[in-house]
Amino acid sequence: MEELMRMEHISKRFGNFYANKDVNLTVYRGEVLTLLGENGAGKSTLMNILIGLYQPTEGKIYLNGKEERIDSPGQAVKLGIGMVHQHFMLVEAQTVFDNIILGDKRSKGIFINRAARRKEILELSERYGLDVELDAKITEISVGAQQRVEILKALYHGAELLILDEPTAALTDIEVEGLFAIMNKLKSEGKSVIFISHKMREVLHISDRITILRAGEVITTVNCSETDGQKLANLMIGRELTKSQYEKKEVSGEPVVKLEDVRYNETNKHNGLAGVSMEIRPGEIVGIAGVDGNGQTQLAQLITGVIGPEKGHVHLAGSKVSTFDPFDFIESGVAHVPEDRNLQGLIGDMSIADNLVLKSTETDQFSHGKGLFLKKKDINSYAEELVQKYDIRCTSIDQAVRSLSGGNQQKVILAREIESEPDLLVVVHPTRGLDIGATRFVHDQMIAARERGVGILLISADFDEVLEMSDRILVIFEGQFMGEFSGKNPPIQEISLAMTGK
Amino acid sequence: MSMDVISSIVLAAVRMAVPLLLIAMAELWSERAGMVNIGLEGLAAVGALAGFMLTFYTGNTWAGILAGAVAGILVNLIYAYATVSLCANHTVYGMAINLLAPALASFIYRVSFGTGGGLNQIELMKGVAIPVLKDIPFLGDLLFNQTPMVYLAFALVLFTNIYFRKTKSGLNFKSVGEHPKAAATLGINVIGIKYLSCVICGALAGIGGAYLTTCYSTTYTEGIVSGRGFIALAAVIFGRWNGTGVMGACLFFGLCDALQIRLQVSSLGVPYQFFQMIPYLATVVVLAIIGSKKAGPKANGLPYRKEER
Repeated sequence: MEELMRMEHISKRFGNFYANKDVNLTVYRGEVLTLLGENGAGKSTLMNILIGLYQPTEGKIYLNGKEERIDSPGQAVKLGIGMVHQHFMLVEAQTVFDNIILGDKRSKGIFINRAARRKEILELSERYGLDVELDAKITEISVGAQQRVEILKALYHGAELLILDEPTAALTDIEVEGLFAIMNKLKSEGKSVIFISHKMREVLHISDRITILRAGEVITTVNCSETDGQKLANLMIGRELTKSQYEKKEVSGEPVVKLEDVRYNETNKHNGLAGVSMEIRPGEIVGIAGVDGNGQTQLAQLITGVIGPEKGHVHLAGSKVSTFDPFDFIESGVAHVPEDRNLQGLIGDMSIADNLVLKSTETDQFSHGKGLFLKKKDINSYAEELVQKYDIRCTSIDQAVRSLSGGNQQKVILAREIESEPDLLVVVHPTRGLDIGATRFVHDQMIAARERGVGILLISADFDEVLEMSDRILVIFEGQFMGEFSGKNPPIQEISLAMTGK
Repeated sequence: MSMDVISSIVLAAVRMAVPLLLIAMAELWSERAGMVNIGLEGLAAVGALAGFMLTFYTGNTWAGILAGAVAGILVNLIYAYATVSLCANHTVYGMAINLLAPALASFIYRVSFGTGGGLNQIELMKGVAIPVLKDIPFLGDLLFNQTPMVYLAFALVLFTNIYFRKTKSGLNFKSVGEHPKAAATLGINVIGIKYLSCVICGALAGIGGAYLTTCYSTTYTEGIVSGRGFIALAAVIFGRWNGTGVMGACLFFGLCDALQIRLQVSSLGVPYQFFQMIPYLATVVVLAIIGSKKAGPKANGLPYRKEER
């Protein structure tokens, strides 16, 4: 096979932390090479080097056998390297057409020859089966369509090597199939693809070769046909990982929270609750299964006091709640791992230590005089302890939370919430975007909390996660519960049907 | 009201709108590259002084206009360096320009002309009537018998519209204000465009200031810009970051200004200060009604860092 791109001894250092260390990577023409690794293994950094966003501290890059210096993204485009970033690089206020031709070098003169450009784009889109509406604004099209725009944009700018950074994370199953068809088409046209993912099933399905990264270094490269999911997982996290089997429990006891016919924004099928009753007892995990946007967000906000019900009652630890205020709920022992960690759970520009004590600054442990003066020393030693205990990978406790990888950000929230010793823990999409190792860690922590007698509400769009973790499963559809199932040998078929409202 | 009164109010409205329009276009170009510059008031002040001084010494108003542009650019480069290269906060540095520049202008004026009473005046730029068009009844004299600066200001609106809607470089420019990283990944020089936008902003705001001394008031006085820099900011929001819209907004504010002068002259008994408030009140009201920033460039006011993790 003909070699297209080769990276030799690439290292990238941020301060005294190596994001990549002595990485060698080869991509051949017409293949899909997968980069597999946990969050923070250095996949994105490596790719940012390849497209000229970062400069490597050391190492060389060869394209078609020739050494090239990629000192800017523009240079990478010129060399035929295109990347579809995990967070799309699309100008939302502009049309699909304008986004694709952005940086246009084909039109002579100062004006854009729209008719000619349009024809070229349509030809490309036909050839690769990339169906897009050229005149729609980016905000008007689906995530899957936005991704097709990104791929089309890269091809339009002459990409021979296309990097897809976790392209399936935001897609539905059908859209993933479509993406794979496009990737196969690219291969057959002699283009190469670097695919970044940690979804094992997809990786095994689409890759030709798989390169495994761990802690910034290449562990090995294997042919897809000669490996399986278990082997890859072990290589990725560097130890044996057996499939978890959590014991399911049945508990009795006074419920920590009880909802009685709660209604909120009832007429809205997607963002409302239409008469919901449930209870959570100490020491059990109640899982909410359902397609995203059937009232899960509102349910979580209600049980954490962010919003109040329009009708119905909420009881916390046996007493009826009259005012809905997050502060009161926190005081009554409700902890919350919110659905969007960057929006609600963390303050990105503040340090790990600060984020860890956000909820407890007024306690005697961390301040004199109810939060008047902070006990910096105590906060720091507490933070050091939690960083150890929860395996938060960081350069120091003073590092801004924004610069941590997703999995480590989630660990910060989890540490803060679990350490507040709650009676009720509400967790929403706790492992979204997390790799196997981090997911496993989060799940273990939840089980440990359950064993200590914490009542846990688990809301997740990941059906497997709900099945694996829950002692009881409630299915939500258009703001109503469609049924309750035991977590022991749950009837998967029945639950799936209930999720669609049947 | 008689035809004469209406015509004179409209004429005054256009005349009042022109400096505002120049300064607002400065902000439009700046914000299109994501640079929120609230230092317009200061930029216009140095422009006004430079325009006055050069015209005073050379007797040529065009030299004055050019000097206004250069002065605006030089001062705005302070803002550009701090916000683009050092990623400093836009508002803080815009405010710094507002504090520094007018004081600097007044200082230079006093050093050059002393604090004494003698009024130093210059001859204003002459109007140029456009043949044929000026003979259109009513409108002709109104719109086609003005100083060249008026025509240039409106031509700038046209140019801005074409540039951002039709040209390659306009599309690249706009994308820097919307999503700089996306622009960078396609090889667009984000830092370069941001600096360019600051140069254009400085030049236009400086010219707007120079217009005040060379086409409007014959002399430099402290506070000559009198809040136009801030009204221009409002005009950009009111005009939805688009050339025609901003022009409409400036004409509206110009009309308010013209009306208040007319009312001051014609009304007895009401203290004139109340009428003077009209343009500012209109600004507050307009912003309260459609002050949402949502329509603006998405990365407006955000620093751009190259190797951000």
